[in-house]
Order: sequence, then C-alpha cells, then structure tokens
Amino acid sequence: MNLALPIGVALAVATITADLSAQRFQGRRRPPREEGGAAPVADAPKAERKVSSWTAITGGDVHIGDGNVLRGATILIGDDRIEKVGHDIEIPEKATRIDAAGKVVAPGFCVVRMQGVAAGGGSEVRDDLNPFDPSIKMALAAGITSFLWQSGGGSNTPAGKSAIVKLAWGDLPSMVKEENTVVSMRVPLDASSMANLRKLVRQARDHLDKVREFEGKADAKPEDRPKPPQGVDDLLAVMQGRKKLWISAGSGGGGGFGGMMARPSGGFAQKEVRQALEVAELVGQGVVLDVPVEAWVVPDEVAATGSMAIVMPRLVVSSDPGRPDDTGSNIAQAAILDAAGVPISVTVPTGGYGGGATVGTGGILGRDLHTPFVDAAFAVRGGYPSRKALRILTLDAARISGAERRVGSIEAGKDADILILDGDPLNYKTFVQSALVNGKVVYRKDEEPFYRHIQR
Amino acid sequence: MRSSPKQTFRRLGRVATAAALALAGAHAQQKPSMTIWYGDRPKDYEVAKLGPTSVPSPAYAFKSKRVLPVTAPPIEDGVVLTRNGKILAIGRAADVAIPEGFTVVDLGDRWCVPGFVDLHCHIASEGFDINDTVHQTNPEMRTLDLVTMEHEQLKLALAGGVTTVNYIPGSGSNMGGFGTLTKTWGRTPEEALVRFPGCLKIAQAGNPERSSGDLGLTPMGMNEGLRATLTRGRDYHLAWEAWKAGKGDKPQFEAGLEYLRGLFRHEYPVCVHTQIYQVVLQTVRELRHEMGLWTVIVHGTFDAYRLSEFVADSGVPIAGGPRQYHFDRGGGAGAGSGAESAFRGVLAGWYGGGMHGWRSTQRGLGRDGIGVNTDSPVVPQQELSVQAAMAVRLGLADDVGILALTINPARFIGADDRVGSLEVGKDADLVFWSGDPIDPRSHVELTVVNGNHAYRRDPRHPRY
Repeated sequence: MNLALPIGVALAVATITADLSAQRFQGRRRPPREEGGAAPVADAPKAERKVSSWTAITGGDVHIGDGNVLRGATILIGDDRIEKVGHDIEIPEKATRIDAAGKVVAPGFCVVRMQGVAAGGGSEVRDDLNPFDPSIKMALAAGITSFLWQSGGGSNTPAGKSAIVKLAWGDLPSMVKEENTVVSMRVPLDASSMANLRKLVRQARDHLDKVREFEGKADAKPEDRPKPPQGVDDLLAVMQGRKKLWISAGSGGGGGFGGMMARPSGGFAQKEVRQALEVAELVGQGVVLDVPVEAWVVPDEVAATGSMAIVMPRLVVSSDPGRPDDTGSNIAQAAILDAAGVPISVTVPTGGYGGGATVGTGGILGRDLHTPFVDAAFAVRGGYPSRKALRILTLDAARISGAERRVGSIEAGKDADILILDGDPLNYKTFVQSALVNGKVVYRKDEEPFYRHIQR
Repeated sequence: MRSSPKQTFRRLGRVATAAALALAGAHAQQKPSMTIWYGDRPKDYEVAKLGPTSVPSPAYAFKSKRVLPVTAPPIEDGVVLTRNGKILAIGRAADVAIPEGFTVVDLGDRWCVPGFVDLHCHIASEGFDINDTVHQTNPEMRTLDLVTMEHEQLKLALAGGVTTVNYIPGSGSNMGGFGTLTKTWGRTPEEALVRFPGCLKIAQAGNPERSSGDLGLTPMGMNEGLRATLTRGRDYHLAWEAWKAGKGDKPQFEAGLEYLRGLFRHEYPVCVHTQIYQVVLQTVRELRHEMGLWTVIVHGTFDAYRLSEFVADSGVPIAGGPRQYHFDRGGGAGAGSGAESAFRGVLAGWYGGGMHGWRSTQRGLGRDGIGVNTDSPVVPQQELSVQAAMAVRLGLADDVGILALTINPARFIGADDRVGSLEVGKDADLVFWSGDPIDPRSHVELTVVNGNHAYRRDPRHPRY
C-alpha cells in the first residue's frame, strides 16, 4: 500500500519504515505510544540535519491524525518539518515557542478535491500557482493546508496530472513538492475499452517481466535495459504502486438541485463499483473510488482489493423502486466501508447550490469548503466512529491523495502543517486560531479580517 | 374526526389560550427581547382553514435521558405522554405516572426535542420550485392543492427533525401566491394541514426581475405592482367589513382577492423573501407600516441586519438563511493578504444589532426575533439544523440556535398554539436525537408527528 514514492526533493528524509495504514485502528486497546511522539513513521533522522530555525508548539492537546490524542504534548519543528512529537522533549534555546495550552492541535486538513484556490486549471500546476491568492487565506481559515490538484484524466485508461499543493502563503517554491501521485480514469468501460485496458495491462506486465529478467542478469548492459511500450507509463506507475488510481463514474449525484431527482442509473452504482474493483484486480493494486453511490452494498469486496473511497456523505440518490435489492445512496456508506476496513475521505455536496469544493464568497455556509468538517460530521451522523473521525480530513485524505509520506499527521519527518484550534476540530463552533504550513505561521485568526470579529 | 371549521376554530382557540398561559408561565422570568406585531389578530377565522385539532394516534409514553421543551428548562430523565396527536403530560419520569394502556417507548439516552419549523420551503409537491407568473402579481395562486405527503424531500425532512414547513410559491414571482403550513407527515394532506394560508408569499428585489414586460424589471415597478394589488385587496376587505357592520351592500365574491381579505384581517402574515438593505427597508415601510400587514421576513440574507433596530421597532421578526453570511467588503484592515473583508454572521447581526452589525449603539431583534430557514431545496430540507449550526458558528448566541429552529418560527407564523415547543395541549411532534440537535454529527433516531411514528432510523440505511 505504502510503497515508497520517488523522492524528488533532496531531503535527508527519514526512512519510512512503518505504515500507519498497517496499524488498523485498535480502539482503546491500543497500547499507549512511546515517548517522543512515538511516530511510527520515522525514527528521528539518523544523520543530524542542519536546522536553521526551531519552533516548538507546547502544551496543546495534540491530535496526531490517526484518531489518537497526546494531551499537553510538545511538537518540535525544525525548519519546515516535524522533528519530534511527545512529552519531555528538549526544546532548543533559540526555538520560537508557540503556547498552545488549553488549545487543540491537529494536522492541517488535506482535502482531496478543491477548485479555485491557489492554482488554476491549467495543464501544468507550476505555471499556474498564485502564492498571494486571497482565497488561500480563506482556505487556511477553514483548516485546509494542502489539497490534491488534478488536471486531465478521467478517460478509459489511467492518465492525468496531479500535485499536492501546499497552501504556503507567499512562498511559491514551497507550494508544490510532490507531483503526480494520482492518475484517474472513468467507469463504466464498454467491452472494447475493457479489452483495451486488459491488453495494455498485459503489455505492461510483459515489460515488467523483461525488466526483472534484465535486472537478474549479471552481465546486463545499461543500454540493453528494456524500454517500456508506448502509452503505458501511468498504468505502469499504478501497477507498481507509485501512483494511486482514482476511478470515478459519471456524475455522482446526477442532475441539478443536489441530485434530488437522480436515480442510480448513470451514477456510481453497484455495477460501476464492481467494474472499478475489477480494474483494481487487473492492475493488482487498490484503487480510490471517487464518490461512489453504492459502494456500501459491497463493502467487503472493496476491502478485499485494498481500495479506498472518497465519500459524499450528504449525497442523496433515491433507491430504485423497481429493484428488490439495496440501491441508492446511503449516509452510512462511510461507516459501512470503515467497518470493513476501507479508509475513506469526504467531499462536499455538488450539483446544486452551495458553491461546491471551494472557498468562494458566493456559496452557502455549511455546504462548501469554508467548513470541511461538516462533511466529516455527516460521516459520523451516518455511524462513522466519532473518536477517529479526524482521520477523514487528515491521514486518510493524505493516503487517498498519495501524500501520506509528507502530510496528514503530526509525526516526526512529516511536513509541519499544523492547526491550532479553540476546540474539537469537528465541532461547528470551533475556529482555527492559527495555521502553520511548512513550519511557518501563515494564518492567524486575530490578524485576518475574515473571522476575527467572532469572539466567544 | 372531521369537524366543522367553526368548531375547529373554537377548540383551537381554547388550546391556544391554554398554551399561551403555559408560555406565559415558562417565560415569566424572561422578558421578551422583541414584540412581534400581529395586528388585531381575530379569534375566529373567516378565510383561513385550519387543520384538524385531533389526529388519531395511540397512547404512548416516550422516555428519554433528556427532554428539551424549549419554552421551559431541560428535563433530565423525562417522559412525554401523548395520545390523539397531542401532548398530555411532560415531566421527570419520577414525577409523571404512566397511566394504564400507554405503550412505553424507551429512547434511552436520546434527546427529545420539538419538531423543527421551516418557514421557507418549496418542496412539498413534485418539482422543486413553483412560479406561475401569469400576472405581475398573482394573489390567486395557492400551493394548497399541491401538497404530496409521499414527496421524497418530506421523507428526508423527517430524518432531519423537520416536522412543520411553510410550503410557499417560488421567489421568481414578485407576489407568488399563498403558502400552506403543513406537517411533513400525515396519512392525508388534510390531516397534515396546520393552516391554509400559511402566509402570502412576496419576493422582493433580488430574484423576481424576470422578463415579463418592462414593469417589474426594477424594484420601483415591483413596489408599484404590489401596492396596487394590495390596495385592491384592502378595499375588498374593507367592503366586507363594512357590509358586516351593516354599512353598504354585500360585496361581490372575488376568488382572486379572497385570501388577501384574510391577510388584511391579520389571520395570517405576509412572508417576504427580502434580503438587501434598501429592499428590506422598503418591505417594512410598505407592507408593515403603509399596508398594516403582519409581516415576517424570510430568506433573510445579505446586509439588511444593519436595519435591525428599525425592524425590531416595527415588530417584524426574521427567518434567516440559506446563506448565513454576508461577505462584508468593508470589514477592516487585513494582514497584507489583500483581502480586507469579513464573513459577517447575518443572524448574529440581526440578533445583536450593533454588537455584530453596523453602528455600535444599534439594537437587535434579540432571542425572540430570530429564526432559520432552508429555502429547500436550495439547502435540502433535512439540513435545517445545519443552518442553525452555521448561524451559531458566526456569532449567534448559543441558546438562540434551538429557539430559531422551533418556537420562534412557530410564533412568527402564528402556529405556536400547536407547534414549536413541548407543552401540554400542543401537538405531539417529538424528535429523538442522538445528541445536541444542532451538531451535524448528531442523528435522528425517531420522529413522531401528531403522535404517530413518522420515521425510525435504520442504522444500516438511515434516511439522513
């Protein structure tokens, strides 16, 4: 699941030895973490890295991102990364201290889909970034510190570009450090498209066999290294686990007005879910079901392929009155998938009024990304365990975006994307007090005009 | 169970008196923060048609950890006795004896909350919004005949704890017609009816500017059209009143004006979709003061909270939503972000006046003048409570959130003798929540309308 991604940046990155995903949530029986933040992700860097500035966030109740909380813990940040998390941490003398006593500290939210913030819709994300886009501040006020940008894709084979965009206000070079972690495609595939995909997978497999054979030879010459067949780069990356494959199906809701008139036909119904899982089996990797309607009907089949899902908890698609089996949307989908062991994230309702996956000023509060926690809350309303629901917006969102190596939890070695909040991150009254991206404070409620007039 | 309208009115009058006394008791310690102007509301309705005073329902004793009557302090370990659609008793389980023959329904640690009331809803029939703009103003239109109890969105409403809606014509027409105040569940629309007309629906500038000739393309023309039609309605009303007083001939019955007569008799209010500062000013001036109508602002959004003092003095309450914020571009200095603008909570502004709005000395509508609405399907009917959550998020006082969903809108529309709180004699519209009903994480376990089970959550496939 967590195969190493190509490391594009010359960081002395800690070896990622363990996978949080491997530690399925164990509820209260889970043994207490060890001192030092107990981040299973990284032993503290072996080689001392050179740190020019230290920041320590002290005394807060630290939500690590996997559902667990360290009360009154310290987070030590060296430049842009988290160095240590835990109690009894020695804070360097010159460190900038941020007192979070009485506050809640959480990983910045990673949203799996957002438009109109920081990046345009062009084909190259780096050509299209605006580090001074005012809506960055609005997204930070909503707790969002990174999102998955996507362009292209959505055809009959895996394709498209993507990037993890960090909302590093004013710091253009730091906004994109991870690219092309995700490709996408669309179901349903008709018979000829499916046959074509099978053919491409066969070619990619043959190529991998040849590479293996080549690498097994003692006297292999570099120039004889087998060249991949044309047009299968993305497919190869998916098959090797280097890129996540997102699969969508038509429009999730269908029709206007939030899909209130929609029927499952043409959406991501059971049939399309099954075909997406067939693709997962074909490529030998779990996929990401992008806003399925009826994945809740086959949760064990989703889990068996190691797939994950982006759920729109508030989606309403009526059951098909002409069918005797389970059809239509289900607010319990997140909970049912979770119970089967499928990681999920959420996205906001689209298709009607409300503004969709963005932080504009023309939408309806509670139905866009000014309040990303509302959709996580609706997953809880449908039965998702409240205690670990923060995962939906942090660690599991990062995994779905292929970015869990950098973001999604407060653990040593990860980017210092951290929120300081005045309460439970999923409570409707809670506001982000300050937000750090890459170790820098980029939002303070009291200094920005949006919400500072709201005092409790 | 049918009774003649006259009997219905009399019975309802008695219930209303009892409820009013109960309310007075509950509120003795709390002075109203604003007084709603109802005009000289008659005791006997001539035009309005009221729903049944009694609806068949079994005898139940609903027990739950927490009961929020809303007009009285919360009750821990409470019980509510219901039969034939009404609440017979409410109190601590230790104090209320459960009579023989009552089926005990134990909801464990759920919260028992009154069913929510939404004054701005478009979804009780097929389709989603209804505009029949055959004339510039359309007082002959009514939604009464369209109510469909099987409507998908009404079923969803029950899963969101919404049990009473004011189902009104769309805002694409300046004067869209007359709305229907109905429960979201009933074996028939007649049984579900609370009152028809619930209100006259007027939509002010910001929506009805649609091409139908030149007149009405701007607020000036719309004001003129409204004034002309309302004046005809008032003349018609006065002619009937004169005839009843023995002065003048019997007027000719005019279907298109009959419901305006009830409006001028103050049997029901005008609910006005009005939201922008100048337009709200004009609404209150023209409808409340010039025409003397019982006036309620619905779909209150944008910056009109700056009028809160004038509106409060006029006795006009507001149901706000669905947007809940005004993006105030004069919000103050930013921190170099280039953004200078604030997300003002619309209802916080109406509630607190200068505390959240414009001038620091300005008074607001206080806790009694604030409601929320969905404008469903713009916000789905089942998300009425999320509107309250967002209003509280942006500065509305915590304890006003629940009032804004229940007793306040019930009072605005004049249905607080039946709905909006849990009191003896009121309708048995009970919703059992898993926790704080304003928190979107909470879910509805059971919804009871008129004493009947209307929705029970299936944990594997909840409706919402």
